[in-house]
Amino acid sequence: MVVSKQWDARYFQLAFQVIFLSYGLLFLHWSADWVNYVCFIATGLLLQCACDYIIKRKLLIAVLWNGSKSVLISCLSLCLLLKTNHWDVCVLAAAVTVLGKFIFRYRGKHIFNPSALGIVAAVYFTDDAWISPGQWGSNVVLFFGIICLGLIVVTRVQKLDVSVAFLLTFAALLFARQILYLGWPMDFFIQSISTGSLLLFSFFMISDPKTAPNHPAARIIWAMSIAAVAFYLTTFKFINGAPIWVLVFAQPVVPLLDQLFKAKRFEWKTDSVNNAHPVQSLNLSIQQ
Amino acid sequence: MKKKILIITAVIGLSPLLYSFCGFYVSKADGGLKNKTSQVILVREGNRNVITMYNDFKGDTKDFAMVVPVPVVLKKSDIHVVDPSIFKRLNDYSAPRLVEYYDQNPCYESNLDQVLAGKVAGVQLNEVAVVGYDAKRKDLGVKIEAKYLVGEYDILILSAKESNGLKEWLTGNGYKIPTGAEEVLDPYIKSNLKFFVVKVNENEKKKLNNNFLRPIQIKFNSPKFMLPIRLGMANADGDQDLIVYAFTAKGRVECTNYRNVDMPTGKNIPLFVQKNFSAFYSNLFTHQWENENKNMSMLEYAWDVSPQNFMKCDPCVAEAPNQQDLVQAGVFWLKKDWTDYSDTEDDNDDYIVSNNVYFSRLHFRYNRQSFPQDLAFQVTPNKENFQARYIITHPATGDLSCEAGKRYLQDLKQRRRNELKQLTALTGKDISTWQDEVADNNDEISNEEVVYSTLLKESKENNSGSENNGSGLLLLSLAAIGGAGLMKWKNII
Repeated sequence: MVVSKQWDARYFQLAFQVIFLSYGLLFLHWSADWVNYVCFIATGLLLQCACDYIIKRKLLIAVLWNGSKSVLISCLSLCLLLKTNHWDVCVLAAAVTVLGKFIFRYRGKHIFNPSALGIVAAVYFTDDAWISPGQWGSNVVLFFGIICLGLIVVTRVQKLDVSVAFLLTFAALLFARQILYLGWPMDFFIQSISTGSLLLFSFFMISDPKTAPNHPAARIIWAMSIAAVAFYLTTFKFINGAPIWVLVFAQPVVPLLDQLFKAKRFEWKTDSVNNAHPVQSLNLSIQQ
Repeated sequence: MKKKILIITAVIGLSPLLYSFCGFYVSKADGGLKNKTSQVILVREGNRNVITMYNDFKGDTKDFAMVVPVPVVLKKSDIHVVDPSIFKRLNDYSAPRLVEYYDQNPCYESNLDQVLAGKVAGVQLNEVAVVGYDAKRKDLGVKIEAKYLVGEYDILILSAKESNGLKEWLTGNGYKIPTGAEEVLDPYIKSNLKFFVVKVNENEKKKLNNNFLRPIQIKFNSPKFMLPIRLGMANADGDQDLIVYAFTAKGRVECTNYRNVDMPTGKNIPLFVQKNFSAFYSNLFTHQWENENKNMSMLEYAWDVSPQNFMKCDPCVAEAPNQQDLVQAGVFWLKKDWTDYSDTEDDNDDYIVSNNVYFSRLHFRYNRQSFPQDLAFQVTPNKENFQARYIITHPATGDLSCEAGKRYLQDLKQRRRNELKQLTALTGKDISTWQDEVADNNDEISNEEVVYSTLLKESKENNSGSENNGSGLLLLSLAAIGGAGLMKWKNII
């Protein structure tokens, strides 16, 4: 499933993440944790460079330019989602995010969504970090904004199926529970699904083509299962940020699904001839 | 300019602000009962919840009753009546504060330390009278799970099979169900919630010889950390204010299904605001609330109030709650011989390991439209202190004719201009609304150029009426710039 578009959808993703962060800081009045942002991004980039250098023996500058898009996206996800008052927790989260990509691999594909793994590790192991599901509010404008921007990014990498399967399943289950069974009014349900956190997760995290199953059918089954488990944990166990946790635990299943449903692996359309097959070259060096 | 902090004065009557709360009142007659204002103490550790509810009650007070949805059938030992003073204590301690600074005269270095006493206006208790009720009932699918007399209250815990039965039961027992209450009864019943119905026992009330209703404290185990406000909206007249005082052993409490916003803090405001600080804060809150789309949780205070922490506020406007207050507020892990939960499952000493107490004060102003869901919360490890704090600065007095004094007057003029701008930005009200306070104010400085009344006139003349309402526009342009940059980048690549 190689993208036929001329250029990399990750530029879009980066731009939109920057817009979301600016929106949060300027209009939602988040307290700007500049130290955190610097720690996330600096740690992420430095570690990525170091790992690339060790594995690929590439010049630092070249690596920084070619390899920085994905890691920047992961670090911006951390900026958007993870809250902490300690810079060392930021360093840890960014380190797990980057190293997770290099350590947990199966057949040349990293298993975990990097930022989801970093977030879960920071929240679970440090007890000094948390996720704020309420930080986005449920503004309808924001709702449409994220959907539109998300659609652009996702369609560019042709994996709309994961986002839609997840979101529709989750929304359908919530609708069945809240409106059909419990009988809450409609605005109760709308408040539940129009939260920025859920939409960001759907369009910018679970949709990551590198960590989703390769086969379309497998992807849809996988996304729907995540939605079902997340719904159960949210509704009956009152776990906040359940989708992220479920995603991390659902990712070891992906290699299994890839075995069952054979399909061509996703590759980012890269913009440099030198770096045309980063995954393969990486794979080789690991096998050595 | 050298400044010296000399005094801390205080604060606020939250008087024009109103509190509201999580149950609804059902009246026996069309008494036009409204609940507008309330305060709740939430204590949460593990799955254990202690909720203390205190309502100022308005309307025809002889028809008082209250219904609160609860997740479990409460035992008698789980229900207490507490002294209302705890609410005053917490409100005084955590209310938004005004801080005073004094400029030193640059022409001669005198040190006149002055200390003024702080005063805090508390929340008034309201008179409430009550009547008894007939316990007649027929089979409507409504079951009285428990029936207790606690303090001056008769308490029933009901479970129901469907909302019509419950409605009929309540109506049959002489309660008037407010319009709009039905839409939430069904979801609550289907969520397997019980209904905690409170009325006042007149005989017990007479024995107490007081004229107010004491707060009720309930304890229960539930993984759900929430506050049911939807029932309370049923008979609400417009917007309702709710102050939540939350205690945890870990850190701040924040709302998970509405946005959390910090109150603007640390702002320099004009000296004359001192005359009417509570009006200032009321305007400030309303303005922020409108700016933030009217559906958010506003943080007003957050502090580590553990008994072992010596600095419980900075500056303090009232005495910090002591260990006894905290225990009374329901902070059960501070109690050494804590036995109230001895008969609940998993009762071991896990919960008494910590001596930490973290306090958050959240202010909600809600209505049916902006708050379709009950409030859901989470405990975060965020231990950062926060206070809503506003600063006024007294000018230097005496002879300011030296060089440094002249520079000081220039600085002062600019500072005061900024203060006036800040005041408008914070409250969204034109400075001219402060005309009376400015006229009343002893400006403490005689130089015509720097007194507020001169600057006020000047600012009125300069006021071009430019309003900053382009938040959406700015976002849009940001997106456009980003998009354009991206396109350009694409071409370069």
